[in-house]
Amino acid sequence: MDRVIYLILSLRWQDIIDISLVSYILFRFYVLFRGTNAFRVLIGMTLLWFFQQIAVSMGLIVTSWVVQGVVTLGAFIIIVVFRNEIRTVLLARNLKFIFWGGRSKKVISTIEIIVESVLEMARRNCGAMIVLPGKEDLEEVIQKGIPWEGEISKEMILSIFWPDNPVHDGAAIIQRDQITQVSAILPLSRRDDLPFYYGTRHRAALGLAEATDALILAVSEERGDVVAAQDSQMKVIKQRRRLEQILQQHMGTAAKKSRESIKERLTVITAALFSIIFVTGVWFSVSKGVDSLATLEIPVVYMNRDPAMEIVKTSANTVSLELEGSGALINSIKPDQIQVKLDLSKSKVGPNPFTITRESISLPPGIILKGVTPPVVDVDLDVFIKKELPVQIDWVGKLPDHLVLTNVTIKPETVEIIGGKRMLEKLSTIYTGKVPLNNLEDKGAITANLALNPASLKIAPGSKEKVSITYATKLRDQRTNN
Amino acid sequence: MGESRTSAGEIVLVQAVMCEDLQELIPQNPTTVFSIERRKAICFTSFDPVPQKTIIYHQWFHRDQTSARIKLTLKPPRWSTFSSIQFRAKDIGPWRVEIIDSQGNILDVIRFSITE
Repeated sequence: MDRVIYLILSLRWQDIIDISLVSYILFRFYVLFRGTNAFRVLIGMTLLWFFQQIAVSMGLIVTSWVVQGVVTLGAFIIIVVFRNEIRTVLLARNLKFIFWGGRSKKVISTIEIIVESVLEMARRNCGAMIVLPGKEDLEEVIQKGIPWEGEISKEMILSIFWPDNPVHDGAAIIQRDQITQVSAILPLSRRDDLPFYYGTRHRAALGLAEATDALILAVSEERGDVVAAQDSQMKVIKQRRRLEQILQQHMGTAAKKSRESIKERLTVITAALFSIIFVTGVWFSVSKGVDSLATLEIPVVYMNRDPAMEIVKTSANTVSLELEGSGALINSIKPDQIQVKLDLSKSKVGPNPFTITRESISLPPGIILKGVTPPVVDVDLDVFIKKELPVQIDWVGKLPDHLVLTNVTIKPETVEIIGGKRMLEKLSTIYTGKVPLNNLEDKGAITANLALNPASLKIAPGSKEKVSITYATKLRDQRTNN
Repeated sequence: MGESRTSAGEIVLVQAVMCEDLQELIPQNPTTVFSIERRKAICFTSFDPVPQKTIIYHQWFHRDQTSARIKLTLKPPRWSTFSSIQFRAKDIGPWRVEIIDSQGNILDVIRFSITE
């Protein structure tokens, strides 16, 4: 328990953002892809991955290899086989939905279609009669119905009751989302207390309502009003909301809809909680697992150097970092993830000691710095100047013993060099590269490159990078003492 | 390697040369390259006039590091003098000798190399 409390207390704000962000991404992934085949396969692949981890931990070598192969192959299969499905999901939704929206599949219910159709026919004074059976069977009561078996839609209902349609007389019977019969003849009510303006359609509606528990909606051709007949009673419906309520009560969808809504919310909340728990578990297992130590040699990067200055010398080009973290994180570190940066913006000409602090080092999240060697790096800076230096030939090799090198001239005799002031103040000569003596003839001309040492030196624009050397030899006077 | 004339104050440098040997104060085999097998190099300088007794220095540099600073005396009315170094294995490379008067003025610079 103490361990759990310690782990929770050691969480940084970055860790909480980290977990929240990945949990949300996982949750959004579920919202976007649930119900698709790709999602089902992905769940299977995840289970296989867990199975592989268990196999590895148990030392089942071949099993873990096989499962790993399947998982690796599965990743390609998901992308290749389900590419159209993935594309459809992503293209069919706008950016806002991908990041935020809920499942907004608009299902126009049977009730909405019936309401829309009835009100439309009422506006057009199109006579109609729709029967919505209850629990009782209507076969005994209804006669001459024509089987229809069509999926309900507003257009279909309007066309059935269109005055020129041969089946527009009689009633259409709707069960669930199907129009099962049209042109059905209903029994007529024998009541004599009905208003005089009710005709055969209303009498038929009431007749069925007296004989069964069905709900009958009748649209008057003359007045365009809507009447609902149920339980031997007839009610004129003037409000859309009232019509919806009557239909919902009859079809029992109000409670069903509410239950579905609660179920949907529970599913979403469960998915969200699962995402958080899953990601938190993965996060803790990766970042707070068994601690490991590692020592890495990292190059030092010098930043914000004054362009007028140059680095002449550093006491160390790399530093040794002692790092601590979970084994998984330590093993996954790549050298380019760690940087040691020294800010030279406030440094001066001459030696500048820099203490390497935690702020100088960028580490991957979850990695802790335990030590730095060396803790201080000396950086020697200098300003750039130009200096004209005489050129001297750096002869190597050996002349034949009987020859002496006498006349040697260099063109140009001097070159202009750009480099650090303190460096150039110490230099009084710029040397050529190695010029071999072995191949020299009696006299001749050769060219030689200049050797810039240290490499930070540069030849000033306008000065030549090569010099031409003319020389002459003569026979040695053998009277000299050797 | 030809004669180098540089005036500084009262003395005038009329010759400055590197050579392998001297015979009766005459440079033998003046050169700019010495094989280390020759064992030594001589820097010969000649001044005319020398109005009064004075001193000069031959400062020897291996690359830019001073290897030797040799004090030499000049006497009127003219004077020739020299200095030399004995070669060691580590002396291979470019050298120069600066001829400096008593006031520290560089009268001439002679460049040479010691090779294998």
